[in-house]
Amino acid sequence: MADAAPRARLSPLALAAVLVGVALMLLPLAWTLLLSLKSNADLARDSGAAFGPPYTLENYRAILQSASTFRWLLNSLLVSLLTTTGVLLLCSLAGYAFARLEFPFRRTLFVFVLLGLAIPEQAVILPQHQLFAELRLHNSYPGLVLPGLVGSFGVFFMTQYFKGIPRDLDEAALLDGASRFTIFWRVLLPLTVPAQATLGVFTFLGSWNAYWWPLISATRSDMYTLTVGLASAQMNYAQTSGLGYLMAQAVFASIPIFMVYIVFQKQIVRAMAGTAVR
Amino acid sequence: MKRAALLLPLLLLGCAGGEQRTGVYLQRFFGECTAVYGRETNVAAAEGECGIITAMLNKFNAENPDVRVSDNVVAWPGYPSLTAQMAAKDPPDVVTMHSGVIADYAAKGLLEPVEPYLREAGIDPAAFTEASRRAVAVGGRLYGLPWDTHGGLYHVNTKLFAQAGLMKDGRPVLPSSAEEFLRHARQFKARTGKPYLIQSLVGDPAGQARNLYTYLLAQNADFVPAPGQIRLQTPEARRIVAFYRRINEERLGTLNQDTPAAIASFTNGEGGIYPTGTWMIGQFETDERTPGRPLHDSYAVYPFPRLFGRDVAFVSGHAWVVPKRERSPAERAALARLFRFMADHNGDWARTGHLPAFRDVIEGSKFRALPHRADIAPLAAKGRPLPSVLQRQSAVEGIVGEEVSAAVIGQKPIDAALADAERRINEFLAETQVGTSAS
Repeated sequence: MADAAPRARLSPLALAAVLVGVALMLLPLAWTLLLSLKSNADLARDSGAAFGPPYTLENYRAILQSASTFRWLLNSLLVSLLTTTGVLLLCSLAGYAFARLEFPFRRTLFVFVLLGLAIPEQAVILPQHQLFAELRLHNSYPGLVLPGLVGSFGVFFMTQYFKGIPRDLDEAALLDGASRFTIFWRVLLPLTVPAQATLGVFTFLGSWNAYWWPLISATRSDMYTLTVGLASAQMNYAQTSGLGYLMAQAVFASIPIFMVYIVFQKQIVRAMAGTAVR
Repeated sequence: MKRAALLLPLLLLGCAGGEQRTGVYLQRFFGECTAVYGRETNVAAAEGECGIITAMLNKFNAENPDVRVSDNVVAWPGYPSLTAQMAAKDPPDVVTMHSGVIADYAAKGLLEPVEPYLREAGIDPAAFTEASRRAVAVGGRLYGLPWDTHGGLYHVNTKLFAQAGLMKDGRPVLPSSAEEFLRHARQFKARTGKPYLIQSLVGDPAGQARNLYTYLLAQNADFVPAPGQIRLQTPEARRIVAFYRRINEERLGTLNQDTPAAIASFTNGEGGIYPTGTWMIGQFETDERTPGRPLHDSYAVYPFPRLFGRDVAFVSGHAWVVPKRERSPAERAALARLFRFMADHNGDWARTGHLPAFRDVIEGSKFRALPHRADIAPLAAKGRPLPSVLQRQSAVEGIVGEEVSAAVIGQKPIDAALADAERRINEFLAETQVGTSAS
């Protein structure tokens, strides 16, 4: 409480610029929401109809009436939660190891981890797909979750965070007879909660919004995630004859993400401001 | 206990009976609409692509207790998923495919020729329309059951045409040459104050490609001189692009519209002709029937008119293809039966606006009784797909559309646009061409 820094006051000009920025960002979202509340027939005639009544929930009703929507929602939730949990666990362990333990080829391995940051998903998608095919993991939850666990960024992020924690804590615990794992689990891990929250939020968002890998790995509709399922439900020319439905899908798919943003707002802002790593 | 002992064999028999149902794994686009049509087996009661195909598959399953078709809906157009499934050696049994894509998969040996299935189903390829037969033919073999033909049409606002003095005997007078087109367009604009042509020139490469392909085919231009090669720096191509550029220079067509904007323009009566595909007929018919709408009792539709050379038009189509994989005789028989069923219901599919793939359907009274279908039926005879030796037609279409759009709106000189299109496509094809096959 005592260290709360006084907030800087914005000049009127800066405030105006911020407000314009906010409006520019909100405008497409508001437009999407308005379109989603109009009938497709009205929008096919004139998309400007979104500015006036009558509004309807028929597009949302159509989404909810689809037998598969809740299955896809469940798939997305499961995949995102499992991926997030796995990433937090593995990246914390790896980060701790790189930051605190001495083992052969530690630096070389860390360079490999950093190289992973430079290699885009597209570059490895073919061998990855082939590997999962050989292992018969397509159209399965492991098939959707496992690729997301490979998180170079998460390992790097957690390594840097662990490095920022004073080694005195480890040494004090060692003197008290604590094992390496106890030090990790009981002493250091609780101190990394802000970083965990940041990494967790970003991993969840990334997993929830993932499209390409689920598109080519989960090819059976009962294994679709919400992004792929909603795309499959669209008819051709959805942008012309089903604009309202298309926009309702976008709103529907973003509701869980919106909730995550609301709940973890502080962590997201800190992560964006670069203050999560000390 | 005794009763249980009696029931057990019956239960096992029941289970065994269930297992004997041959599975057919069908994959398609056209959207998902089980909320509305999940239990519908009356195909006549279904509307739209999604509704009709869903009801059809329900009906097939209901009528064939020994076969179970599983309907897997993929995100349009479905090729990333299909390619991934093929790479994983787990392709579906039967898939919807655009005719322009069939050659890509066939050349890589990923599709089965379907003649054996057609034979078993009692379907004679001679029953296909000319356009649909060409659409599935690669290297002298048939690689799919053609399902429809779709292509560009002139959707016409007859009320505005009447105002412009361009109606004769209750039918719109369409131009028969490029010069006449321009004369009509000027007259239309002078009398109605509205553009003759509604165009989606923004973000619609397919529209521009359709115009160019149609009139290149009409001029008999040899624009695919060899597999993996395209030639666009020709007088024929220049003539077509110059014609569309002229339309825009004289402001006889709309500018800066994407597809939704162009559709809205047409349905709101803001122009004379909207050249777009067969797939829009349903929506425009609805407006035609709705009192108070600008298109009420004022809509007609025809194939692209002959403006250059012969009377032909570029068309595409949907087909059911069979990815190559191991299949038991029972699975092959089930596929053949599904093909027969599809063929028998081709007329139902025609309600979507697409043209039927079978001669007897397109010539039948049921089809011709549908609104405007008699007017667009000639497309099935004069429609031509691109030569199947041209692979990656979808990507090629994107490049063609982008460059032609730049030329017709005056962003780029015509010669430069055609040269760039030709170079870009040939470089792309050189990198991606697989095998060679004659159409």
